[in-house]
Amino acid sequence: MAFTSDLDQITRAAAGDPAAVRALVNRYSPGVLSLATRMLADRAEAEDVTQETFLRAWKALPGWEPRAKFSTWLHRVALNLCYDRLRKRRESLPGELPDEADTGLAPHEALDQAQRVSAIEGAIGALPERQSAALTLCALQGHSQAEAAGIMEISVEALESLLARARRTLRAQLLEGRTSS
Amino acid sequence: MTEDRLIELIEAWGADPSAFPEAERAAARAMLAAQPARFAAVIAEARALDAALARLPEILPSAALTGRLAASAPSPKAAASGFRLPKLAPWAPASGVAALAAGLFMGVMAAPAASASSDMSEVESVLEHALGYDPAAFTQVLSE
Repeated sequence: MAFTSDLDQITRAAAGDPAAVRALVNRYSPGVLSLATRMLADRAEAEDVTQETFLRAWKALPGWEPRAKFSTWLHRVALNLCYDRLRKRRESLPGELPDEADTGLAPHEALDQAQRVSAIEGAIGALPERQSAALTLCALQGHSQAEAAGIMEISVEALESLLARARRTLRAQLLEGRTSS
Repeated sequence: MTEDRLIELIEAWGADPSAFPEAERAAARAMLAAQPARFAAVIAEARALDAALARLPEILPSAALTGRLAASAPSPKAAASGFRLPKLAPWAPASGVAALAAGLFMGVMAAPAASASSDMSEVESVLEHALGYDPAAFTQVLSE
């Protein structure tokens, strides 16, 4: 069971076992980095968030109590760091990044695959932050409903509502991209 | 399961019923099987979005990043450190010897003044001042 394996690795990592540290990094850094990249739409900032998340994890490991899955806790830390950075962006650019940002795709004569991927990534990054988080955790990272809701500290019903709004926006983007191509 | 609820599920969780909340999954599957044409359009839209999301490239950390993450973990030495007695400086034993010598010296210098008002021997006086107590009295207490 992954949870038991986590506990074993956490215990060993807390004791400074390099193999356990590497195992935790290899297992969880892709998810944390992916979440941060989708949320922030900025690779360098996402790497900073990933580093900060793991620094907090290393500090927390010696006193770790398995009240929650380590994965849930780690992603929650990363998500909250992303929220902090997005809030600072909004504060530094007052009025320029409204919650309901203009997510319209640029009209293209013909969207090739790379352009379409880029457009979808841009549209996800332009979603309101909680919608972006819900979509990333569920549709892109495959977290279970309970785990995604746990990471976001909301109910599954609230998660469903965020997902529905996110997907509605993206569907509209896709349709717009098709009709303008 | 109502038709409206099934549409809500598809719009939120995508075209694949296995992504729906477990409690509603079976009923949703049954309704989809019973009326495929009724939900074909909403399923097709959801499937197109699912496919678009599935085409997004995986985001993977570079070796440099994973190296930095691992390097930021506490080292085994730091992780194992609990309470330890402070390490003595190399000159600590020498300072103890110096303190003992200084005590004996002070005792020798102060002894003549003390012996003038008592009948203790010069040696006893030196010892009392050097050690901070009267060894004769201490021996007497022990013998009692």
